[in-house]
Amino acid sequence: MAHSYIRISRLAAVIGLLLLKPAVTFAGEEAEALRQQLAEIKQQMQHLQQTYEQQINALELRLDGLESKPANQTSVAEAPAKPSRSSTNNSDFKIGLTGVIAAGGSSVDNDALEGLQAGAHDPNQNGFTVQNVELSIGGTVGPYFDAQANIIFQIDTEGETVVELEEAFFTTRSLPWGLQIKGGQYFTEFGRHNPLHPHSWDFVDQPVVLSRFFGGDGLRSQGMRASWLMPTDWYSELFFGVQNPKGETVTSFLNAPGEDIGGYTLIDRDARDFGDLLYTARWLNGFDISDTLSMNLGVSGLWGPNASGTTTDTTIYGADLYMKWQPLYSQRGFPFVSWHTEVLKRWYEAGDRGDPSRETLKDQGLFTQALWGFKPGWVAGLRAEYASADGNTSTDSLRDTRKRLSPNLTWYPSEYSKLRLQYNRDWAQHLPDNTADSLFLQLEFNLGSHAAHIF
Amino acid sequence: MKKLFSALCGLLLLAISHTSHATLRVVTTTQDLAAIAAAVGGDQIQVQSLTPGTRDPHFAAAKPSMIRKVFRADLLLVIGVDMEIGWLPALLQSARNVQVQPGNSGFLDLSTSIPLLDKIDGPISRSMGDVHAQGNPHYWLDPRNGVRIARAIANRLSELDPPNKDNYQQRFKIFSQTMDSKLPAWRTGLAKLKGKPVIAYHKSFVYLADAFGFNIVDEVEPKPGIAPSAGSLSKLITRIQNDNIGLLIVEPYYERRSANYLNKQTGIRVAVLPQSVGSQSGINTYFDLFDAIVMALNTPEGQ
Repeated sequence: MAHSYIRISRLAAVIGLLLLKPAVTFAGEEAEALRQQLAEIKQQMQHLQQTYEQQINALELRLDGLESKPANQTSVAEAPAKPSRSSTNNSDFKIGLTGVIAAGGSSVDNDALEGLQAGAHDPNQNGFTVQNVELSIGGTVGPYFDAQANIIFQIDTEGETVVELEEAFFTTRSLPWGLQIKGGQYFTEFGRHNPLHPHSWDFVDQPVVLSRFFGGDGLRSQGMRASWLMPTDWYSELFFGVQNPKGETVTSFLNAPGEDIGGYTLIDRDARDFGDLLYTARWLNGFDISDTLSMNLGVSGLWGPNASGTTTDTTIYGADLYMKWQPLYSQRGFPFVSWHTEVLKRWYEAGDRGDPSRETLKDQGLFTQALWGFKPGWVAGLRAEYASADGNTSTDSLRDTRKRLSPNLTWYPSEYSKLRLQYNRDWAQHLPDNTADSLFLQLEFNLGSHAAHIF
Repeated sequence: MKKLFSALCGLLLLAISHTSHATLRVVTTTQDLAAIAAAVGGDQIQVQSLTPGTRDPHFAAAKPSMIRKVFRADLLLVIGVDMEIGWLPALLQSARNVQVQPGNSGFLDLSTSIPLLDKIDGPISRSMGDVHAQGNPHYWLDPRNGVRIARAIANRLSELDPPNKDNYQQRFKIFSQTMDSKLPAWRTGLAKLKGKPVIAYHKSFVYLADAFGFNIVDEVEPKPGIAPSAGSLSKLITRIQNDNIGLLIVEPYYERRSANYLNKQTGIRVAVLPQSVGSQSGINTYFDLFDAIVMALNTPEGQ
């Protein structure tokens, strides 16, 4: 200590001398030498400051220990410390912005490409597409509620900026018996993929069958749902919900007047009673098969009116399976293999009772995708899809027999960004050549709060 | 539909018969906290860790099976300092257990009982990699912090379960005494490292270095969480040679290629150091962890 004190006074003396000198004109060499000296002094000062801080910290620790330790205890290991800060682990308010931008090219022209890439956030232009810029704000409202809003900014094919309130909902925090209620505008919990936001997708575009049944933006609407985390030994949760059936984000139901499904032009039909609302249900189960293998298994159902007539209804069922393998030793979540499959079927009553052309349009589809995170930050993926409908639908881009195979490669330079290259091979009846080849490069960035890791 | 309904009712009855329990259910985010909690809680608690010691707890994801565990928990113990930020908030929302929400008696963030190192006061940017402004979260690797963790857990268990208060405090005392009896041997075991420069793969061993007096002068990762490149490794080679650095420590879950490459180029000794309880077989208690660390650093190379 005494030694350090002497060094400090010596430094002070040197600094003092330096301050007295400015009147003298220096030759260039002298100035250089002094500059060097100054830099050295600065370094020494910093070093001293560090040493002192360390010593003070150590003393504080010892003092803490002396103060809070009863005299009869003489533990060497115990050196109690004051809590150094308040907990900020689960900070209440979160705000973040994610941007997903794509560049791509296809063997077909823009009109045909829009028919193939029917998702509103799919890259669908030869050239650049701003797929999705999403502002996400969320947090805890009080002891009883959490709330979240997601606002989407997008640039459409005409170059116009579109703003959309994608989601805005509350969830309860403190209901008993494993119950939770969610209300507002939200993505319907149907299958695994529908509630995912574009930046959480494993491919640059959404599955064909989901674009067909749920429209470009996914199935979302205003409503409420209750879920019950069942007191079983494995994870098992039941969801029941009621949502408004009208709007372009409820495609298979009342949708928007003037839209066309299977050759039927939709009328302006409103929900008149409880029977006219969209009812949603899901049962999701999760198991750890072993220390390295986990599985989710779900079934979902939708029941609601459609606007092809005044009394017509639509029913959709789906089943989903997700498995993920990760070895016991894994670095940053790598390596891993995951497999995700969904199968959906739709019954769409078209035409009112008594109408001679009344029929039930039956559509089905599936997608199955595997991902292999082969080294930290690198994921290779392969997706295979199939969708079809009963009847003669070969000219309808949303009901023809369609197959698509999509290999892709994703690189995460950090947790907050990714680059993805994807090739799509399409087989579609409605195309003149029946096939199309497309290549997309996608870039994503995340700003703000740490996003949740997706299981 | 009727069949489905009766099946569901049956399921419900089955489930309800499972809910009564006498012991406290303690859920931890890591195996280190689980091991310390088990030492302090004994038979009065049941402990489960959400992540295994073989994996980096920062990169876990909220699996459904975790939701189940947190839903049933009486006490949730977390590392804090953003360690679980990628998955715990989502998990807490899904688990709908008010008792274990932050601020309530069933939630304990152990980092609040620890003097944290590596705090950053100045401006902070993600261009710096995964930096934690509030401090380095790997604090369980200082055995003195183990005692702080144990004390905080014993106090919280005493609050939640007053009839067993004496048991918890008694077991904490034993834990603390065991630590006192083991520390000198560990210090002797690591004495040869004292004052020596060491390279680590990630900023995981800062507290270990602080406890046993060696200096971690650089990391294999050029920035926290950023993978090394050919350029960053060649800079490191120069540094190892110039500063005569003799030891490189790596967590078991990190890739070995970079470490082996550095070893080949400079002859630096590479030691795979367990960073958590459960990270290698045989490390079942918090004391085992330091026994294993001391052993790993005293095993001659190539064995």
